[in-house]
Amino acid sequence: MRRIPVLVASLALVTAACSAGTVDVSGIPELEATSPDAVQSLLDTTTLPTVVNVWASWCIPCRSEAPLLDRAAAEFADRVRFIGINVRDSQSGAREFIAEFFPDAAIEHLFDRNGVVPPSLGGSGAVPLTFFYAPGGELVRLHSGVLDERTLALEIDEILSRASS
Amino acid sequence: MEFTLLFAAFFGVAGLWLMLRWEAARGNAADCAADLWEIAITAAVVGVFIGRLAAMIGDGVNPITNPADILIVRAGVATGWASAAALVTVAWLGRKELWPAMDGLAPAALAALGGWHAGCLARATCLGTTTDLPWGVAQSPGGPGRHPVEIYAAVLFLVVAIAVALWKARGRPAAGLPAAIALIAAGGIRLTTEPFRPSLGGGPVWWYLAAIAIGAIGGVVAVRLRRRRPSDSQP
Repeated sequence: MRRIPVLVASLALVTAACSAGTVDVSGIPELEATSPDAVQSLLDTTTLPTVVNVWASWCIPCRSEAPLLDRAAAEFADRVRFIGINVRDSQSGAREFIAEFFPDAAIEHLFDRNGVVPPSLGGSGAVPLTFFYAPGGELVRLHSGVLDERTLALEIDEILSRASS
Repeated sequence: MEFTLLFAAFFGVAGLWLMLRWEAARGNAADCAADLWEIAITAAVVGVFIGRLAAMIGDGVNPITNPADILIVRAGVATGWASAAALVTVAWLGRKELWPAMDGLAPAALAALGGWHAGCLARATCLGTTTDLPWGVAQSPGGPGRHPVEIYAAVLFLVVAIAVALWKARGRPAAGLPAAIALIAAGGIRLTTEPFRPSLGGGPVWWYLAAIAIGAIGGVVAVRLRRRRPSDSQP
């Protein structure tokens, strides 16, 4: 008899997992395609410290760090520019990811189908990658792999201190 | 790169193991038959698991639809929930001799936390807010000096761990009092170093205050119980 509640709970969990519906992407526009030159030009001309996060919808670690970036973009909205570069992905996958994790975040997302932008900035082909830039496009730090809260907060503090000095 | 967190965990486990060995060699945990090492490791694993689940839920990530994300501990562990779950696990596993088990683990838990903070050396995450003090360390070439805040925390945890262990051996404190003092110290050290850490949203300050309050209440209860039953604490 004691197994029945366990079975019911397990069934409920499996049902919940399987019934996760598709995400509504109607409010998410198509991502603008970009190139290495376009991104470099963007970085050279920006007057704000900039965080560039490279992500893909198929990348599980990217999902894990997305809420951190969402919180950081909300907290530093007026002082730091956030750019997301979606690589080696589809428009539909990218839009679903944005709808799920960044629906209201102040992050400009760009589409890099062939993943050529990160290597041009000095990164590798792996995701996630996060670049931290001082105003004017000076690369302060390149972080490979998943971000944790402390690292993200510290690196943002670093590029903000470069901006004020 | 991703494995640096494992190095930090190794530092924490090393701190735990060394302090337990040191205490055992001094006969400090002789009044507790429970296997403190097993209890501590189980509590740590349960704490990290619950803390990770809490962090995911807090960030709006469904752990049922994204089960693999649970393993990505680096993306965040809710410190308060993790600590609470670890404490409950210790209390449950050591329930037959609760206070000796808690007191037996107190210095080792502090040493483990000290080791965990010292693990920042492997992760390159020791630095905090900017400072003009001479021991400030630059995060990047040309950058401002920063407090090595995690080293401050590591040193404080290790000093308090050794102090509690020595006090247990020489002072014969009331049962439960070392655990209460350790909880107050853990909350206090995190609280006093928190202003030196850049964070998103200010850090889990309320959890640290809660730890201090629970430790203080536990300490008062332990002292009162000893006054009522002084024979319990005689050697």
